Amino acid sequence: MSFDLNQPVSGKVWKFGDSIDTDCINPYYRYPDPAELRKHTMESARPEFASQVRPGDIVVAGRNFGCGSSRHGKVLFEVGIVAVLAESFSTLFLRNGISGGDMVLAVPGITGIVEDGQTLEIDYSKGMVRNPSSGKTLPVRRYPPMIENLIKAGGMWPFAIARLKAESQAGKS
Amino acid sequence: MGQTMVEKLFSKKNKLGKSVMAGDIVEARIDGMMHNYSFHTVIEQAIKAGFTDGLPKVFDKDKVFILNDHHQPALSQALADRSVMMRRECERLGITTYVEEPGIAHQWMIDYGYVRPGELVLGNDSHTTGYGCLNAASTCISKADAFYALVFGEMWFEVPRSIKVTLDGHYPNYPISKDILLTLAGKYGDDFGAGMSIEYTGPLIPQMPIDSRMCIATQGVDVAATFSMFPCDGKTRAWLESRTDVPYEPLTADADATYEKEIYLNVDEMPFVVAKPHTLGNVCPVDEVRGVKIQQAQIGSCANGRYEDIEIAARMLKGRKVAKGVRFIVSPASQPVYLQCMETGVAQAIVAAGGQFITPGCGICQPKVGYMSAGETCITATTRNYRGRKGSLDANLYLGGPLTVVAAAVAGEIVNPREVFREL
Ligand code: SF4
Repeated sequence: MSFDLNQPVSGKVWKFGDSIDTDCINPYYRYPDPAELRKHTMESARPEFASQVRPGDIVVAGRNFGCGSSRHGKVLFEVGIVAVLAESFSTLFLRNGISGGDMVLAVPGITGIVEDGQTLEIDYSKGMVRNPSSGKTLPVRRYPPMIENLIKAGGMWPFAIARLKAESQAGKS
Repeated sequence: MGQTMVEKLFSKKNKLGKSVMAGDIVEARIDGMMHNYSFHTVIEQAIKAGFTDGLPKVFDKDKVFILNDHHQPALSQALADRSVMMRRECERLGITTYVEEPGIAHQWMIDYGYVRPGELVLGNDSHTTGYGCLNAASTCISKADAFYALVFGEMWFEVPRSIKVTLDGHYPNYPISKDILLTLAGKYGDDFGAGMSIEYTGPLIPQMPIDSRMCIATQGVDVAATFSMFPCDGKTRAWLESRTDVPYEPLTADADATYEKEIYLNVDEMPFVVAKPHTLGNVCPVDEVRGVKIQQAQIGSCANGRYEDIEIAARMLKGRKVAKGVRFIVSPASQPVYLQCMETGVAQAIVAAGGQFITPGCGICQPKVGYMSAGETCITATTRNYRGRKGSLDANLYLGGPLTVVAAAVAGEIVNPREVFREL
C-alpha cells in the first residue's frame, strides 16, 4: 500500500533508538531470499519484531534512521508497517522512501511524545501527528509540491513510466 | 550573496538555468550515472513495467557507466547468469563503458577517469560520495531514481546546506584519513553531515594524496552527508592528466558563502582512534580499548583498499610477523591497485609475514569472505562496523585506520601503533 496523502492512519508504535542501520532494517547480505529477509528485518535491534509486527503498525525511531547502504526500507512495509517516523533520516533512506511512494516522515520531537506499544495517529493532510492517550501533538512538515506529485504518482517508477509514455505520445503526434 | 560549492553546481546544472540557494528544489542535468553489479534489477523492473527488451533508452551512452563489481569472478550461478544479462543489455543499448573484473566500482570511477571536477555524477551505491575527492558532486540515489536518471539524465534535488570542515596540521608518512573521519564522527556525531554537503578545506589538503581524500569523501555517506567534496588542486589535476581528456570546470566556494556549521580539526593533536561495535560514531582513542584480543584484522573496501592503505601494512610488517591465531586479510580495491602491490613487493611482504590476500572486491566488507563467529573480534579498515556485517550478530567489529589494524595484527590485540612500531 503506498502513501495516500489524504488518508489519516493510526497504529501501534514500535519504538527504536538512534542510527538504526540498513544492515538491521534490510539484512540482505545474510538473507538474500525475500521471504527469509522478512523474517529477520530489525532483528539486530529487536529480535521479536518480525514475528510480532501486525499490519497497520508504525515504526518510530530516533535520529539518523536508515544510515548505511543504499538498501531501501520496503521490507518494513512488506511486513505490514504503514508509516516510518523518525527524528531524522539518512538522506538516502528518505530518498528511497519517497521514490518508493512510502509514508516516511521526519518529525523532530517524535520520540518524546510516544512510547513503545502506544497508538499514534498521523494526519499528513492536516500536517499533524497525535498521541491519543496523552493528547500530545506535533506538527508534520509537508513535502514541497514536486515531491508530493512524485508520491501521488505512486513513486519514481510510475512517475518515470508516465514521462516516457508522454514523450512517446508527443513524438508520434 | 556568496555561494557554496553545491549552490554553484546546482545553479549551473538546474534545467531552468537560474541561480539557486540551499533549500531550493531543482531538477538537474547530470554528467554521469554509475550503476554497479545490481544493474540487473533495473533491467528486470523495466521488463516488468512492460518494456519487453529492457530499458527503453539511456540518456547518453557515453555517460552511463555499468560497473559489474562486488563479486568477481562470479560467486554463484545466479551472479554468473546476471552478468550475461547485463552484458547483453549494454550491447543492445550501445553503452560504451561496461566493466567486469575484480574490484570495486567506486575505485574504477576514479582509476579509469570517468569523473572530473565540477561534475554532477550519480550512482546507485551509497559510497558514490567518494568522487568528491576529485571535486565532483557525487551521491547515491534510490533504485527507482537510478532508472529515471539512466533514462532521462536528470534528477531532482533539494540543494543541500553546507558544512565547512577545515583540516589543519601535518600529514605524516602514513595514512590517517580513517582517523580523521572517525574523529569527526565521534566528536560531532555519526550524522554530523545529515543531508548536507561537506566541503573540506585547509592547510592539510594540499599535503593529502588523492587516495587519502577518497577515503574521507567515500565515508561521507557514513556521516549522513549527501555530498563530500575536496577542492581541485595540483594533485587533482595531476591525477586526471593521464586518465581523461574531457575538459572540466572546478568548483570553488565564494569567500562569503553561508555555512550551516564550521568545524576545525588539527591532525597534529589527533590521537589514533577506533569505532567500537556497532556504530561508526562509537569512537574512542585507541588507548581506551588497548588489550582487546582479536582473531581477525582487515584492510580493504572502497574506503581503505588503496595502495597507501596496503603499503603501510607491508612497511610495518618488515621484520615482523602476524600474531599466531590472527587472520590478517587484505583486499585491494581494484586490479590496478593489486598489480601495484605486486610490482612493488608489497604483496609479497604481507604474505611472507603471515597475511593473506583476497581478490579485489567487496567480499572483505561483507559476510562473503572471512565470516566471524559469535564472540570473535575483528579490527577492520573497511567502511562499516554494523552488527552482523561480518556474519554473526555476536561478533565484535572495531573500525580503525590501516596502521592501527596492522599494529593489532602484529600484537594479537588492539594496541596503540606507536607501541608496536617504534620507528613511527
Ligand atoms: S566495499 Fe563495502 S561499502 Fe564499498 S561498495 Fe563494496 S560492499 Fe559497499
